[in-house]
Amino acid sequence: MTATLALWISIFLNGLAQVLLKKGVGHTQARTGVSAKWWLSLLTNGWIWAWGLSFVVATALWILALSKLDISYAFPLLSTSFILVAILSRLLLGEYISRTRWIAIFVICLGVILIAAK
Amino acid sequence: MSSQFPAPAETVRLTSPSQTGTKHTFEIADLAVFGAVFLAAVGHLMIKAGLVGAASAGLHGNVVDRLMVYFTQPYVILGLAIYGLGTAMWILAVSSHDISYVFPISALNYVLVTLGGKLLFGEVVTLKRWGGIALVILGVGLMQGSGRKGRP
Repeated sequence: MTATLALWISIFLNGLAQVLLKKGVGHTQARTGVSAKWWLSLLTNGWIWAWGLSFVVATALWILALSKLDISYAFPLLSTSFILVAILSRLLLGEYISRTRWIAIFVICLGVILIAAK
Repeated sequence: MSSQFPAPAETVRLTSPSQTGTKHTFEIADLAVFGAVFLAAVGHLMIKAGLVGAASAGLHGNVVDRLMVYFTQPYVILGLAIYGLGTAMWILAVSSHDISYVFPISALNYVLVTLGGKLLFGEVVTLKRWGGIALVILGVGLMQGSGRKGRP
Protein backbone atom coordinates (compact mmCIF):
# COMPACT_ATOMS: atom_id res chain seq x y z
CA MET A 1 0.00 0.00 0.00
CA THR A 2 1.39 3.35 -0.92
CA ALA A 3 1.69 6.04 1.72
CA THR A 4 -0.69 8.33 -0.18
CA LEU A 5 -3.39 5.65 -0.34
CA ALA A 6 -2.94 4.98 3.39
CA LEU A 7 -3.29 8.72 4.01
CA TRP A 8 -6.56 9.03 2.10
CA ILE A 9 -8.07 5.92 3.66
CA SER A 10 -7.07 7.35 7.05
CA ILE A 11 -8.74 10.68 6.27
CA PHE A 12 -11.90 8.92 5.05
CA LEU A 13 -12.09 6.67 8.14
CA ASN A 14 -11.43 9.66 10.39
CA GLY A 15 -14.49 11.40 8.96
CA LEU A 16 -16.60 8.25 8.85
CA ALA A 17 -15.76 7.62 12.54
CA GLN A 18 -17.45 10.86 13.55
CA VAL A 19 -20.61 9.98 11.63
CA LEU A 20 -20.63 6.51 13.22
CA LEU A 21 -20.28 8.10 16.67
CA LYS A 22 -23.21 10.39 15.94
CA LYS A 23 -25.24 7.42 14.71
CA GLY A 24 -24.40 5.64 17.95
CA VAL A 25 -25.25 8.37 20.45
CA GLY A 26 -28.17 9.88 18.52
CA HIS A 27 -29.79 13.00 19.92
CA THR A 28 -29.69 12.02 23.57
CA GLN A 29 -30.17 15.58 24.72
CA ALA A 30 -27.17 15.58 27.01
CA ARG A 31 -28.00 19.09 28.18
CA THR A 32 -30.25 17.58 30.80
CA GLY A 33 -27.45 15.33 32.02
CA VAL A 34 -26.80 11.73 31.17
CA SER A 35 -26.78 8.82 33.56
CA ALA A 36 -24.16 6.18 34.31
CA LYS A 37 -26.59 3.78 32.66
CA TRP A 38 -26.35 5.77 29.43
CA TRP A 39 -22.55 5.58 29.46
CA LEU A 40 -22.67 1.83 30.09
CA SER A 41 -25.16 1.35 27.26
CA LEU A 42 -22.52 2.73 24.89
CA LEU A 43 -20.38 -0.34 25.60
CA THR A 44 -22.94 -2.60 23.94
CA ASN A 45 -23.66 -0.20 21.09
CA GLY A 46 -22.43 -1.53 17.74
CA TRP A 47 -22.09 1.96 16.23
CA ILE A 48 -19.81 2.98 19.11
CA TRP A 49 -17.61 -0.07 18.48
CA ALA A 50 -17.55 0.80 14.77
CA TRP A 51 -16.47 4.33 15.76
CA GLY A 52 -13.67 2.98 17.95
CA LEU A 53 -12.50 0.57 15.27
CA SER A 54 -12.51 3.25 12.55
CA PHE A 55 -10.61 5.56 14.87
CA VAL A 56 -7.93 2.97 15.66
CA VAL A 57 -7.46 1.94 12.00
CA ALA A 58 -7.43 5.60 10.90
CA THR A 59 -4.77 6.44 13.51
CA ALA A 60 -2.61 3.44 12.55
CA LEU A 61 -2.81 4.35 8.83
CA TRP A 62 -2.08 7.99 9.69
CA ILE A 63 1.11 7.02 11.53
CA LEU A 64 2.06 4.68 8.68
CA ALA A 65 1.51 7.46 6.12
CA LEU A 66 3.44 10.01 8.16
CA SER A 67 6.45 7.72 8.34
CA LYS A 68 6.76 8.23 4.57
CA LEU A 69 5.15 11.61 3.91
CA ASP A 70 6.00 15.14 4.97
CA ILE A 71 3.66 16.33 7.73
CA SER A 72 3.24 19.70 5.99
CA TYR A 73 1.80 17.74 3.04
CA ALA A 74 -0.40 15.38 5.06
CA PHE A 75 -1.81 17.74 7.67
CA PRO A 76 -3.58 20.25 5.40
CA LEU A 77 -5.32 17.33 3.63
CA LEU A 78 -6.86 16.35 6.96
CA SER A 79 -9.11 19.39 6.63
CA THR A 80 -11.01 17.64 3.81
CA SER A 81 -12.55 15.45 6.53
CA PHE A 82 -14.67 18.45 7.60
CA ILE A 83 -16.25 18.52 4.14
CA LEU A 84 -16.53 14.72 4.09
CA VAL A 85 -18.35 14.68 7.45
CA ALA A 86 -20.79 17.33 6.19
CA ILE A 87 -21.57 15.22 3.08
CA LEU A 88 -21.83 11.95 5.04
CA SER A 89 -23.98 13.53 7.78
CA ARG A 90 -26.36 14.70 5.10
CA LEU A 91 -26.49 11.36 3.29
CA LEU A 92 -26.47 9.00 6.26
CA LEU A 93 -27.98 11.04 9.10
CA GLY A 94 -30.24 13.41 7.18
CA GLU A 95 -28.67 16.51 8.70
CA TYR A 96 -29.57 19.78 7.05
CA ILE A 97 -26.58 21.95 6.20
CA SER A 98 -27.48 25.57 5.71
CA ARG A 99 -25.59 27.86 3.37
CA THR A 100 -24.05 29.61 6.39
CA ARG A 101 -22.84 26.26 7.71
CA TRP A 102 -21.23 25.38 4.36
CA ILE A 103 -19.45 28.75 4.33
CA ALA A 104 -18.31 28.22 7.94
CA ILE A 105 -16.97 24.76 7.03
CA PHE A 106 -14.99 26.09 4.05
CA VAL A 107 -13.59 29.01 6.06
CA ILE A 108 -12.46 26.58 8.79
CA CYS A 109 -10.87 24.28 6.16
CA LEU A 110 -8.96 27.19 4.66
CA GLY A 111 -7.81 28.20 8.15
CA VAL A 112 -6.58 24.68 8.94
CA ILE A 113 -4.72 24.54 5.61
CA LEU A 114 -2.95 27.82 6.43
CA ILE A 115 -2.06 26.67 9.96
CA ALA A 116 -0.76 23.30 8.79
CA ALA A 117 0.94 24.18 5.51
CA LYS A 118 4.65 24.87 5.45
CA MET B 1 -27.44 33.25 18.04
CA SER B 2 -30.96 33.72 19.37
CA SER B 3 -33.31 36.48 20.38
CA GLN B 4 -35.64 34.13 22.23
CA PHE B 5 -34.25 34.58 25.69
CA PRO B 6 -34.88 32.77 27.91
CA ALA B 7 -35.52 29.73 25.74
CA PRO B 8 -38.00 27.39 27.37
CA ALA B 9 -35.76 24.43 28.11
CA GLU B 10 -38.70 22.06 28.30
CA THR B 11 -39.78 22.92 24.76
CA VAL B 12 -36.30 22.41 23.43
CA ARG B 13 -36.04 19.07 25.16
CA LEU B 14 -39.33 17.73 23.88
CA THR B 15 -38.84 18.49 20.22
CA SER B 16 -36.63 16.52 17.90
CA PRO B 17 -33.75 18.89 17.24
CA SER B 18 -33.01 17.76 13.71
CA GLN B 19 -36.55 18.43 12.62
CA THR B 20 -37.25 21.69 14.34
CA GLY B 21 -36.29 25.23 13.65
CA THR B 22 -36.21 26.04 17.35
CA LYS B 23 -33.62 28.66 18.08
CA HIS B 24 -32.34 28.62 21.58
CA THR B 25 -29.89 30.30 23.84
CA PHE B 26 -26.46 29.19 24.90
CA GLU B 27 -26.68 26.05 26.99
CA ILE B 28 -24.45 23.88 29.14
CA ALA B 29 -24.19 21.36 26.29
CA ASP B 30 -22.55 24.06 24.18
CA LEU B 31 -19.79 24.24 26.76
CA ALA B 32 -19.16 20.53 26.21
CA VAL B 33 -18.12 21.26 22.60
CA PHE B 34 -15.56 23.85 23.63
CA GLY B 35 -14.60 21.96 26.79
CA ALA B 36 -13.84 18.84 24.73
CA VAL B 37 -11.67 20.81 22.30
CA PHE B 38 -9.88 22.57 25.16
CA LEU B 39 -9.17 19.34 27.04
CA ALA B 40 -7.88 17.62 23.89
CA ALA B 41 -5.49 20.51 23.26
CA VAL B 42 -4.28 20.57 26.88
CA GLY B 43 -3.80 16.79 26.69
CA HIS B 44 -1.73 17.10 23.50
CA LEU B 45 0.45 19.84 25.00
CA MET B 46 1.04 17.86 28.21
CA ILE B 47 2.04 14.76 26.24
CA LYS B 48 4.45 16.94 24.28
CA ALA B 49 5.85 18.38 27.53
CA GLY B 50 6.38 14.86 28.85
CA LEU B 51 8.08 13.72 25.65
CA VAL B 52 10.40 16.73 25.64
CA GLY B 53 11.52 15.77 29.14
CA ALA B 54 12.03 12.14 28.10
CA ALA B 55 13.71 12.86 24.77
CA SER B 56 17.25 12.31 26.03
CA ALA B 57 16.32 9.26 28.09
CA GLY B 58 14.51 7.77 25.11
CA LEU B 59 17.43 7.99 22.73
CA HIS B 60 18.87 4.65 23.73
CA GLY B 61 17.51 1.14 23.67
CA ASN B 62 15.04 -0.60 21.41
CA VAL B 63 11.53 0.50 20.52
CA VAL B 64 9.90 -1.24 23.48
CA ASP B 65 12.36 0.30 25.95
CA ARG B 66 11.81 3.75 24.47
CA LEU B 67 8.03 3.38 24.59
CA MET B 68 8.32 2.29 28.22
CA VAL B 69 10.24 5.48 29.00
CA TYR B 70 7.69 7.64 27.18
CA PHE B 71 4.60 6.06 28.71
CA THR B 72 5.91 6.29 32.27
CA GLN B 73 6.49 10.05 32.13
CA PRO B 74 4.10 11.74 34.60
CA TYR B 75 3.16 14.44 32.07
CA VAL B 76 2.47 11.85 29.37
CA ILE B 77 0.19 9.87 31.72
CA LEU B 78 -1.58 13.03 32.88
CA GLY B 79 -1.88 14.22 29.28
CA LEU B 80 -3.44 10.92 28.18
CA ALA B 81 -5.89 11.09 31.11
CA ILE B 82 -6.94 14.62 30.18
CA TYR B 83 -7.23 13.56 26.54
CA GLY B 84 -9.51 10.70 27.65
CA LEU B 85 -11.66 13.12 29.65
CA GLY B 86 -11.84 15.30 26.54
CA THR B 87 -13.06 12.30 24.51
CA ALA B 88 -15.86 11.66 27.04
CA MET B 89 -16.87 15.31 26.81
CA TRP B 90 -16.73 15.03 23.01
CA ILE B 91 -19.25 12.16 23.16
CA LEU B 92 -21.55 14.41 25.21
CA ALA B 93 -21.12 17.24 22.72
CA VAL B 94 -21.86 14.98 19.74
CA SER B 95 -24.93 13.53 21.45
CA SER B 96 -26.63 16.90 21.66
CA HIS B 97 -25.63 18.55 18.36
CA ASP B 98 -25.50 17.90 14.64
CA ILE B 99 -22.17 16.27 13.76
CA SER B 100 -21.88 18.74 10.86
CA TYR B 101 -21.94 21.47 13.52
CA VAL B 102 -19.56 20.08 16.17
CA PHE B 103 -16.91 18.39 14.06
CA PRO B 104 -15.68 21.52 12.22
CA ILE B 105 -15.47 23.32 15.59
CA SER B 106 -12.88 20.74 16.66
CA ALA B 107 -10.52 22.61 14.30
CA LEU B 108 -10.06 25.02 17.25
CA ASN B 109 -7.79 22.27 18.54
CA TYR B 110 -5.19 23.32 15.92
CA VAL B 111 -5.48 26.92 17.07
CA LEU B 112 -5.02 26.04 20.76
CA VAL B 113 -2.14 23.66 20.11
CA THR B 114 -0.40 26.24 17.88
CA LEU B 115 -0.78 28.96 20.53
CA GLY B 116 0.24 26.54 23.28
CA GLY B 117 3.31 25.53 21.26
CA LYS B 118 4.31 29.17 21.06
CA LEU B 119 3.72 29.92 24.74
CA LEU B 120 5.13 26.73 26.25
CA PHE B 121 7.78 25.56 23.80
CA GLY B 122 8.71 28.79 22.06
CA GLU B 123 7.62 27.48 18.67
CA VAL B 124 7.50 30.06 15.89
CA VAL B 125 4.09 31.15 14.61
CA THR B 126 4.42 32.57 11.11
CA LEU B 127 2.19 35.26 9.63
CA LYS B 128 0.53 32.59 7.49
CA ARG B 129 -0.33 30.62 10.63
CA TRP B 130 -1.77 33.71 12.33
CA GLY B 131 -3.96 34.11 9.24
CA GLY B 132 -5.07 30.49 9.56
CA ILE B 133 -5.85 30.97 13.25
CA ALA B 134 -7.98 34.02 12.42
CA LEU B 135 -9.87 32.11 9.71
CA VAL B 136 -10.63 29.13 11.96
CA ILE B 137 -11.96 31.47 14.67
CA LEU B 138 -14.03 33.31 12.04
CA GLY B 139 -15.42 30.00 10.76
CA VAL B 140 -16.35 28.84 14.27
CA GLY B 141 -18.07 32.19 14.79
CA LEU B 142 -20.02 31.76 11.54
CA MET B 143 -20.98 28.26 12.64
CA GLN B 144 -22.82 29.74 15.63
CA GLY B 145 -25.29 31.36 13.30
CA SER B 146 -25.71 28.31 11.08
CA GLY B 147 -28.71 26.73 12.79
CA ARG B 148 -26.93 24.48 15.18
CA LYS B 149 -29.59 21.80 15.41
CA GLY B 150 -30.46 21.50 11.76
CA ARG B 151 -32.66 23.97 9.98
CA PRO B 152 -31.71 27.55 10.83
